[in-house]
Amino acid sequence: MNKFNLIIVSLIILAITGCANTLVTKEQEFPQMYNEKPRSLLIMPPINISTAADAKDYYATTVEMPIAFQGYYTFPYEMTSEILKQEGIHDSELVYDMPLDKFHEYFGADAVLFTKIVKWDTSYLVLASNLTVSIDAEIKSTKTSKTLWKYNGTVVIDLTGNNGGGGMVGLIAGVVATAINTAAADYTTYARQANGRFIGTVPVGPYHPLYLKDQLVKIQQQPQQ
Amino acid sequence: MQIKILLTVCFTLVFSGCATKKPMYDYDEYSETFYAMKRETSNETQAEFKNTLETIIAKSEKQSMRVPPGVYANLGYFYLKANDENKAISYFELEKSTYPEAIHFMDRLINKVKTEL
Repeated sequence: MNKFNLIIVSLIILAITGCANTLVTKEQEFPQMYNEKPRSLLIMPPINISTAADAKDYYATTVEMPIAFQGYYTFPYEMTSEILKQEGIHDSELVYDMPLDKFHEYFGADAVLFTKIVKWDTSYLVLASNLTVSIDAEIKSTKTSKTLWKYNGTVVIDLTGNNGGGGMVGLIAGVVATAINTAAADYTTYARQANGRFIGTVPVGPYHPLYLKDQLVKIQQQPQQ
Repeated sequence: MQIKILLTVCFTLVFSGCATKKPMYDYDEYSETFYAMKRETSNETQAEFKNTLETIIAKSEKQSMRVPPGVYANLGYFYLKANDENKAISYFELEKSTYPEAIHFMDRLINKVKTEL
């Protein structure tokens, strides 16, 4: 038994737990998070570039909890989004490229979380329909206005389920099932799954037991856009 | 040597995120009632969301857990909108004492409420 074997064992476990692509440590990927150590995050109203107009309000209800569980102080979203509106910020896109120090001044926020709903729609194919929810998320410093962390979470769900086949009857049944499933689809469930794809890559915050101890945790590297 | 392998296995499992621990917070029906309020804003859905905030506080205290961030503040905001300034301020103070990160924002609100009284 030597070091080589240990490495093999580690690799096998990592592969089994589903992180087969390019792996990097959190510290390698997001060093600025460990330098700045933000304690509080102001969640901005989502930027919505999807085709679903109502996605913004619905998606917004799914962001606070996972960020809090990741160990950060999250400002009460319902309240802060109303205040931002009163201050004339209806659209986060307007402030995305601006200096963010005013959010520190007003709220005392160390950093700001932007989310962008890239896709939130159902694509109808002849015999199937897919639901895609895709979210770009980004944490920016209110000190430097620079990006501290950035990741994407996407889920694609086959809404037709097991399309039982069986000629014309099967076809019609499939179409009916699609219509029913689509109407009943609670997209926030899938939004939470999409959030789950990126949330674990955020270096944990001060209320998490692993605070400043997760530098070597491996995450999947994302292609830079 | 076997211990070393075992350690490696444990270490890798922990860091690949499969450890089950006691959850940090009890959010009760937070996301459900928040979503219902966003889907249809009415007195009823708002009251349900407010009830949930109160339940979260009661449940967290019962389990000696920290009340999740923003819950006291949000409840205070409901009281503020109902013109119950004193109750609002008392909840903003609770948010401050639970989370020092909130002091700046809460003080701003408390000062604003007091100057308007």
